[in-house]
Amino acid sequence: MAHEFRLLETGFHTAAFNMGLDEALLGSVAEGKSLPTLRFYGWKPPAVSIGYFQGLHEEVDVDACRAAGVDVVRRITGGGAVFHHYEVTYSIVVPLSHQLARPNILDSYRLLLGGIIDGLALLGIEAEFAPINDIVTGGKKISGNAQTRKRGCILQHGTILLDVEVDLMFSLLKVPQEKARGKLIEDVKERVTSVQHFFKNRGQNPIFKFLYEETVAALKQGFASALDLSLVGSSPDEAELAEAQRLADEKFASRHWTELR
Amino acid sequence: MKLELIGKPGGCKLLRMTLEVEPPLSPASRLQRISIRGDFFAVPEEAFEEVEHELEGTALDELGLRFDALVLEKGIQCAGIGGAGLAELVQNLLVQKEQQHGT
Repeated sequence: MAHEFRLLETGFHTAAFNMGLDEALLGSVAEGKSLPTLRFYGWKPPAVSIGYFQGLHEEVDVDACRAAGVDVVRRITGGGAVFHHYEVTYSIVVPLSHQLARPNILDSYRLLLGGIIDGLALLGIEAEFAPINDIVTGGKKISGNAQTRKRGCILQHGTILLDVEVDLMFSLLKVPQEKARGKLIEDVKERVTSVQHFFKNRGQNPIFKFLYEETVAALKQGFASALDLSLVGSSPDEAELAEAQRLADEKFASRHWTELR
Repeated sequence: MKLELIGKPGGCKLLRMTLEVEPPLSPASRLQRISIRGDFFAVPEEAFEEVEHELEGTALDELGLRFDALVLEKGIQCAGIGGAGLAELVQNLLVQKEQQHGT
């Protein structure tokens, strides 16, 4: 029998609210108030998120972000710094007691990322898991992911790149001293790809809205087939939205949290 | 003295460490403070801060083994970081300092 999951498409929000909602959903599932949940979302304004263990000022040019109107937020998950703009972001919350939960982090990534790999296949993109936490196609990264375990649940969130903006990204993120900026930008252009790239190769140049909607539709099907999910379309309830806003205001937008390391 | 280390040792993500040790620097120098940052994973995240705290007092040449022992003791699952990687960064630093002294 298929696993019943709640499906949320929550639209575009600030970085602090997005991270607040992911944590609020984790709380709902942990307290048994909600089904395991799959959420799709975007970022408005664009944002840089950093991993829990990263040093803010080592990774991000905070002044450049402010000048460009880009939010900066620390995630509750590990992993690296990400510039969120032209992408689909997802989160999935599963109790550790669920059949789809794996005790080992790598096993868990491998299983849950099957949903993205199947979704990309529906878009004609053949991709594979690249441990620890990436998905690559033709050796190039198209999706980065991060996972934590709290309150008896797994929370995994990640991005599927719709378009690549390497030059803008590197004006916001700090480049390690040992590598020349120009060389690094060229390296990244060689190592990263996007859904848009595949559409362009087919002679198409769709607008972002189309790319976003097509990709979300494919990912829904991909998760459903790879994980045998029965997705129940829904919206966050009032309590979750209130908790998300509280977490956004008191935690994710706070200087204390952002500058934790 | 304060030391900044950065690198991507085998099997690890990019790791950054800030170490404070009593001079002179040697493999036996004890950590007064340590901060480990980077794009690795360690779950539960909050317990990692306890590991950093409990590493204080550890000799530099015991850092890797002590880190692995503490991670095990606290039931932390790590990905992209490990004692061998931390030890490699410290070893590189010690070799570099020794070479600087020799020249």
